Amino acid sequence: MRSQKTRWLIYGLLFIAIIISYSITIQLKVTPSPFVKKTFEYMEHLPPQSVIIISFDHEASSLPEIKPIAQIMLRHVFRQNIRVIGMSLFAEGTAIGYDMLTKAAREFGKTYGEDYLFLGFKPQYISAILGMGESIRRIFPEDYLGNRVDSIPLMKNIDNYNSIAMVISIADGDRAVQWIEYAGARYDQKVIAGLTAAMITTYDPYLNSGQLYSLVGGLRGAAEYESLYGKLGGGNRGLLAQSVAHFFIIILIIVGNIIYFKNRMQSKGMK
Amino acid sequence: MEIGAIIAGLLTLAIYSFLYKDNPVYKAAESLLIGLSIGYALVIFWQSTIVDLLVKPLFGEGKLILAMPFVLGLLMFSRFSQKTSWLSRIPIAFMIGAGAGVSIPAMLYARTLKQVSASVAPLFNESGALNLSEMVIVIGLISTLSYFYFSRKNEGAIGKVAKVGTYFLMIFFGATFGYTVMSRLSTLIGRVEFLLTDFLHVIK
Repeated sequence: MRSQKTRWLIYGLLFIAIIISYSITIQLKVTPSPFVKKTFEYMEHLPPQSVIIISFDHEASSLPEIKPIAQIMLRHVFRQNIRVIGMSLFAEGTAIGYDMLTKAAREFGKTYGEDYLFLGFKPQYISAILGMGESIRRIFPEDYLGNRVDSIPLMKNIDNYNSIAMVISIADGDRAVQWIEYAGARYDQKVIAGLTAAMITTYDPYLNSGQLYSLVGGLRGAAEYESLYGKLGGGNRGLLAQSVAHFFIIILIIVGNIIYFKNRMQSKGMK
Repeated sequence: MEIGAIIAGLLTLAIYSFLYKDNPVYKAAESLLIGLSIGYALVIFWQSTIVDLLVKPLFGEGKLILAMPFVLGLLMFSRFSQKTSWLSRIPIAFMIGAGAGVSIPAMLYARTLKQVSASVAPLFNESGALNLSEMVIVIGLISTLSYFYFSRKNEGAIGKVAKVGTYFLMIFFGATFGYTVMSRLSTLIGRVEFLLTDFLHVIK
């Protein structure tokens, strides 16, 4: 019962700390990391009307972390007049991806079919990624709304990765790895990953070897991108709450260790 | 208030009620989540796989070549009977063969060759100065691999190098765990944001 009460106390205090810090409007200074800068610079210098693929390869459960990353990157590409082909290799990411893409496009007055389109979900991700290297039309004969891809103006003269400047995989798992391993290795397609923080260490080897062009990771990555973009959003709003929560957890670790060593010394003394 | 926000807010609170203790409200919300996720995935898979990749092209456009994967797919259901279950080995053999054929070269290139070449980087730069990050990578790589070298006992020189490898592993585990905590907290913050803004309208 005592341990359960301690658990309630910890959860309760953490919850209160997050609510209070989220309610306070203090702007933390954010210094963009080299990889976020690299991603931003790449988008900034991409010629207008270039075409990129954004693949929403995530589940609904990771949305709080994924959404700020996707939103700011979508805003940036639309501001730069880059054309976007949206898709998903994760069933759950399909409707969410379409919703985020459409909202960002509306914000910038973009036209469906000319400035952006959404191809929808495709199962068997390895076959889909490899097949798109041969012909995107063959893998996606119709878009998410049921239009023939051949009839969509954006797809004119676009049939495979040769016409795609970059693939951005917004992922909460290892789906971006498949983009790197199949589209990257076989078709020399540049890949950027927008990831949950938990996945960053998984992608570090690919970043180090140059297989992954760059990455934007977690709420912090979103906040860094927002600061470069010049308009703060979901990433920055949650950053103070995250810092406070981290500080709270560090204190808990220290207190836990003090209690542990104190108990150990006491039991040794008794012996 | 939007009906969707009310339902989502109540379900969020129902899930978080587990932190107090396991209860029927939490169980109901959990079952709803599982049911909805499976139902949604099933509909998406049915449309994007069975209808778009098989029914439309085979029966609508007359692409007879697709009869082969269709029959192979049907053979998977032979597992339901003991007498015919051996037939399911045929499509499984196709899947393993094709899967291995596609994956092995890609894995070998992306996970082995590229990683090895990235590890074999010059330790000194053009001006002759030591490249510290490359040095750390080389030491970490050799010591960690020594730890997983099981052909000899981890004693003597190998044991000492392997010990260094364990420290690198611990640092990796620590970093990964730290990022995971960061990720889970972001999820919690996201939910708190939803509760305070869309559900309770306390913050605009």
